Amino acid sequence: MTAAAANPATRSRPVLISASSLIGPATIIVAFGVIAPMLILLRYSFNRYDPRMLMIEAFSPENYLKFFSDPFYLQIFWTTLRISLLCTLICLVLGFPLAYVLARTRVRYKNLLIIGVVIPLFVGNAVRAAGWMTLFGSRGFLSVMLMKLGITNAPTEIMFTETAVIVGIIAVNLPYMVLTLQSVLEGIDRNLEEAAFSLGAGPLTMARRVLWPMALPGIAAGVILTFILAMNAYATPVLLGGPDFHMMAPLVYSQFQLNNWPFAAAVAFILTVTTLALTVAAGLATRQRFRG
Amino acid sequence: MARLELQSVSKRYGEFHAAREVSLDIADGEFLVLLGPSGCGKTTTLRMIAGFIDPTEGSVHIGGRDVTRLPPWKRNAGLVFQNYALFPHMSVAQNVAFGLEMRSTPKSEIPGLVSEALQLVQLEHLADRLPRQMSGGQQQRVALARALVFHPDVLLLDEPLSNLDAKLRHDVRVEIRSLQQRLGLTTVMVTHDQEEALTMADRLVVMKDGQVRQVGSQRDLYEHPADSFVADFVGRSSFIRGRMHGTTLKSAGGLEIVCGREIVGDAVVALRPERVHLSKQPLQGMENVFPGQVTFVSYMGSLIDVHVKLSEADQVIAQLPNHEGHELPDVGEAVHVGWSSTASVFPAQ
Repeated sequence: MTAAAANPATRSRPVLISASSLIGPATIIVAFGVIAPMLILLRYSFNRYDPRMLMIEAFSPENYLKFFSDPFYLQIFWTTLRISLLCTLICLVLGFPLAYVLARTRVRYKNLLIIGVVIPLFVGNAVRAAGWMTLFGSRGFLSVMLMKLGITNAPTEIMFTETAVIVGIIAVNLPYMVLTLQSVLEGIDRNLEEAAFSLGAGPLTMARRVLWPMALPGIAAGVILTFILAMNAYATPVLLGGPDFHMMAPLVYSQFQLNNWPFAAAVAFILTVTTLALTVAAGLATRQRFRG
Repeated sequence: MARLELQSVSKRYGEFHAAREVSLDIADGEFLVLLGPSGCGKTTTLRMIAGFIDPTEGSVHIGGRDVTRLPPWKRNAGLVFQNYALFPHMSVAQNVAFGLEMRSTPKSEIPGLVSEALQLVQLEHLADRLPRQMSGGQQQRVALARALVFHPDVLLLDEPLSNLDAKLRHDVRVEIRSLQQRLGLTTVMVTHDQEEALTMADRLVVMKDGQVRQVGSQRDLYEHPADSFVADFVGRSSFIRGRMHGTTLKSAGGLEIVCGREIVGDAVVALRPERVHLSKQPLQGMENVFPGQVTFVSYMGSLIDVHVKLSEADQVIAQLPNHEGHELPDVGEAVHVGWSSTASVFPAQ
């Protein structure tokens, strides 16, 4: 009896130690690198701002009230949300077929194709946005080509428009979507597709009835990932949107630059909570769909 | 159900011939089995019937309709996969209903047809289960019900039993065969298991290297194999190689074997083990009688295999029934073996 009781205890101790040593470092980094600053920001967001004295200790919701009562900030909030949802949707529509082809192809250079999808990630966002600038400007490649081909007769201004920002964000986010979907689609037995075909389903019906529901958890992961990236995009809206175009992440930074830490903290928190809430909602929705 | 015809269907991948001029005519309600080792082209042939592979040449007709260029979803063929391929996110009933929904069957008729199909395979009580909650044998029967519910023109079975354990395999064999006969299903099954093929088929097709080697009944294949490959693949044979002189084969070990037909050049005699007589006394009444030495005895219960060396280069296997009081030869013992001139002989390949 005693031997049996003592045994699991002596055996479980080394397991506990090794488990904690495995998850320990990551936990510490998350705790001190993410949670602590967030808590400090949360506290800051309730402080007051004074142009001369900067931050004043307080506990007031006025930063949040200011954000939600000022049409200028609300406009930025809705723009960010709209662009993020739009970019995510386009990434899904463009990414799904590409991921499917990548997942199903049996060619020898498949790894090269995957590297081709990943390569854009090697280029930093700022560098890439600079590249887009040369393409989008009124004397940029695209505008000149359109005129040379006689499609337009005046310079096309894409630079510093919402379109430029949307295209830029999609270019950044698409690889994440494709890679996430590809790994999920690869896990779906090809025989299931053939079974659907043999039962009379055409490719679109098969995709809707078999691939889509089976890939749903992966689709949710891809959508959430790209949505978070779009919501928090900084370099792309700043460089391609220009001085008159505003999104949430650049707004946070500009408020920090103005030394208005309390308001910057409040905006940062609104951005984070909105992203988190929509992410959780998306997760719950897919889980319910999957059960039903 | 319908007649199924393949007219010199070929599939080439570059220089590789996956199937070479395969011609088959499968009658309405017939159970045809494609048999052969892996890579023989049997699966390629089945997939060309199903529409997953486009033939390089030739045509496929189902019920008189040329379906060669039709995609799989327009062929009305019921397919059962080796791994069953049930949709894991759908219940058994939903899986079975899928083919009906694709054919725009009125919603009100679907439940009735689904339970009818599930009754065929005795699974109507599990209609609400998910595939992962079922055993392999049950999943297999669901796959069968799913393939039959929409009354396909042909039923295609791709190694349907190879994932089942041995006991279950025997039961399911009988179950599929009797269902096929009862419903008069035109059926093509692919397998590498000759016992499975022999017990289920009306007619068998033996394939190798993308080519049809022989088409015929079990008896045809066993009694009159077209070549030494078929003689080896269907049933068992021991082979004696040599060179023909008229109707006599002179073996590598110097035996002179009387054969039923004349062949020019190198040839091989195939002997069915149960047709080789074995005795301790000299044998009479057969064209070919040789002394030999027992090298190996394999006791298999009802049957006993005796390996007999006839010369340095030649060896045969004789199969004896295990009669009561039968005295078994010992290893090393001198015996006499004999067989008739009707034993198969083929040109060497």
